[in-house]
Amino acid sequence: MHRRKATFSLIAGCVLLGLIVVSVFGASMLAPHDPVKQSTLERLEKPSLEHPLGTDRFGRDILSRTLHGGQNTLISSFIALIATIVIGLLVGIVAGMYHGSLLDTILMRLVDVLLSFPFMVLAMVIAALFGTSLFHLLAVIVSVCWVTFARLSRSIVLQAKTETSFAAAKVLGASDLTIMRKELLPRTIGPVLILATFELGSLILSIAALSFLGLGSQPPTPEWGSMLADGRDHFFQFPHILLGPTLFIFITVAAFNLIGEGLRNQLDPYEKIEL
Amino acid sequence: MCRLIIKKMLQTFITLFFATFVIFLLVRLAPGDPVNIMLSRTGEIAMSDSQAYDHKLAELRAQHGLDQNIAEQYVTWVRHLLQFDLGSSIHTGRPVQAEMAERLSATCLLGIAALLIQSVLGLFFGTLSALRAGKLIDHIVRLTCIVLASTPAFVLGLALLSFVAVRLGVYEISSEASWSRLWLPALTLGLIGAPQLIRVVRASLLTELGQTYVLSGFARGLSNQLVVRHALRNILLPVATMVALSFAGLISGAVVIESIFSWPGVGKHALDSILLKDYPVIQGYALIMVALVTGINLLIDALYVLIDPRVRLKPRVRRELRA
Repeated sequence: MHRRKATFSLIAGCVLLGLIVVSVFGASMLAPHDPVKQSTLERLEKPSLEHPLGTDRFGRDILSRTLHGGQNTLISSFIALIATIVIGLLVGIVAGMYHGSLLDTILMRLVDVLLSFPFMVLAMVIAALFGTSLFHLLAVIVSVCWVTFARLSRSIVLQAKTETSFAAAKVLGASDLTIMRKELLPRTIGPVLILATFELGSLILSIAALSFLGLGSQPPTPEWGSMLADGRDHFFQFPHILLGPTLFIFITVAAFNLIGEGLRNQLDPYEKIEL
Repeated sequence: MCRLIIKKMLQTFITLFFATFVIFLLVRLAPGDPVNIMLSRTGEIAMSDSQAYDHKLAELRAQHGLDQNIAEQYVTWVRHLLQFDLGSSIHTGRPVQAEMAERLSATCLLGIAALLIQSVLGLFFGTLSALRAGKLIDHIVRLTCIVLASTPAFVLGLALLSFVAVRLGVYEISSEASWSRLWLPALTLGLIGAPQLIRVVRASLLTELGQTYVLSGFARGLSNQLVVRHALRNILLPVATMVALSFAGLISGAVVIESIFSWPGVGKHALDSILLKDYPVIQGYALIMVALVTGINLLIDALYVLIDPRVRLKPRVRRELRA
C-alpha cells in the first residue's frame, strides 16, 4: 500500500518536473512570441488564443516571458541550492567529526543564531544596506539555508561515529580527512538529497516572495519573481497578469514536494525521518 | 530542573550576543556612509562650500560616535541597546524603539492569531489523517497539504483578498489594525504554516500508535477516544518543537502578509524603511525579531520541562546509568 503510494507521488513529481524543465529550457522553440517585444496596442490583454496567458503592461506576451524567465529562476535557485548543500555538508561533517571541541561549539552557536534569524529579516537588512539585486537575494538565502543541512549531516555523522566501521578506520590509521571523505560523506548523501528536494521547493518560494516584495532581481530581466513584482500593482484590475509565473512556480514547487515525499516514503515507508 | 532552564537562558544570551555582533558587522560593512545618508535626507548635500560640508560631516560623525574605533563603537552601541535605546530613525527622527512599540502589538496580534489557527488546523487534520491512514480522507488531507505548501504565500493572500474583499465585499480595505480586519490575514498566515504541522502531527501520531502501550490499551478494552488521547499527550513535545521552529517562518511570512493586507505591523514598517534607506529602523527591527524568536524558543524549552517529566529526569537517569 505504502509502496504504491510512494511510487505514485514520485512519478507524478518527476512528470511535472520534466514538463517544466522541457518547456522552460525549450523556450526558444516553444514560446509563441518574443519575450521582450513590446506592443503598445496590446497592453494588459486578457488571455486569448493569440496570447494564452494574456499580456503585461507593456504588451509583452506573458506565456513567452514566463517560459524564458524560468531559465533564470531555475538556474539561479539550483546554484543557490548547490552552494547551500556544500557549505552545510562541510560544516556539518567537520562539526560532527570534532564533536565536543571548541570548533564544534562555535559552529553550533552560529547555527543557533542563524536559526533565530528569520530569512526575510536578514534579506531586508541586506537589501537596505547593500541594495536590491538577485545576487544579494541568493547570498542571503544561501547564508540562512545551509544551517538545516549542517544540522542534518552533523547528526548523521554523530550516529556514524558510534559504529564499528568508524573505529576500524581510526585503528587502521586513516587520517581525519580520509575518514570524513570515505566514511562520513557517503552516509550523509541520501538524507541530504531528500532534504534538498524539499529545500529547492521552499527556496523557489522564498525567492518568489522576496522578489514579490521588490527585494530580488529588478524588472527588466524576465524572471518569475520580477514578473510578480512587476504585475503586483495591476493585480486587482487584471488578475490574469500574475497567473503565468504563479502557475509555473506552483507546478515546480509541487513537483519537488511530490518527489521529496515519494523519496522519503520509498526510503523508509513506516517511520518518519528527522529532517 | 532549574539548572536546565538556567543553562538554556545562558545559551539564549550567547545567541543574542552573537546576533548583535552579526548585525553590527553587517551595518559597518555596508557601502554607504550613514552620515552621508543622513545629510542627503536633510538636503544639505547641496551645500556648495565643500569645507563647510566636511566640517558638518565631521561634527555629525563625532555626534554619532563614528569617529571612535570599531571596538569602541560596538561597546557603545551594545550599552545603548541594554538601555533599550535603538537609535533614532533617519527619516522621522523619532526613537526607533517608540516606532517599533507602536506597531509591535499589531504584529503580535497577527502572529498569535495565525499560530492559533495553524495549531488547531494542524492538530485536527493531522490526527484525522493519522487515524484514517491510507483511507480516502488521509489522501485528501495529504494532497491538500502538498497543494498548500506549494502555493506562494502572497498568491494565497492576494487571491483571498480579491475574493473576500472585491467579490464578496465583506472585508474592509484600510490600513488600520482592528479586530474586524484581523481574521483574513491571520487565516492566510495560518493556512501557510498548517501543512508542515499537519505532516508532523500525522507522522508522530502514527509512530506513537504503533507503540505497545496503545496495543495494551486496546487489549484492555479502552475506548478508541481514550487511547488516542493518551497518544496525543505523548506527541505534544515534537509538536511544540515544530510550532517553536515555525515561529521564525511565521515572522518571515508576516512581512509578506502585512504588506498585502496593509496591516500596520513592524514588518511592513521595516519594508517601507528599506526604500528610504533608513538603516537604524531596519537594524532595530532585526534585533527585535531575533530577540522575539530566541525568547519564544526559550519559553518552549522551559515549557518542555513542565509538559514532559522525561526531560526533567534525563540528567539523573543518565547519571544513574553511568554509575
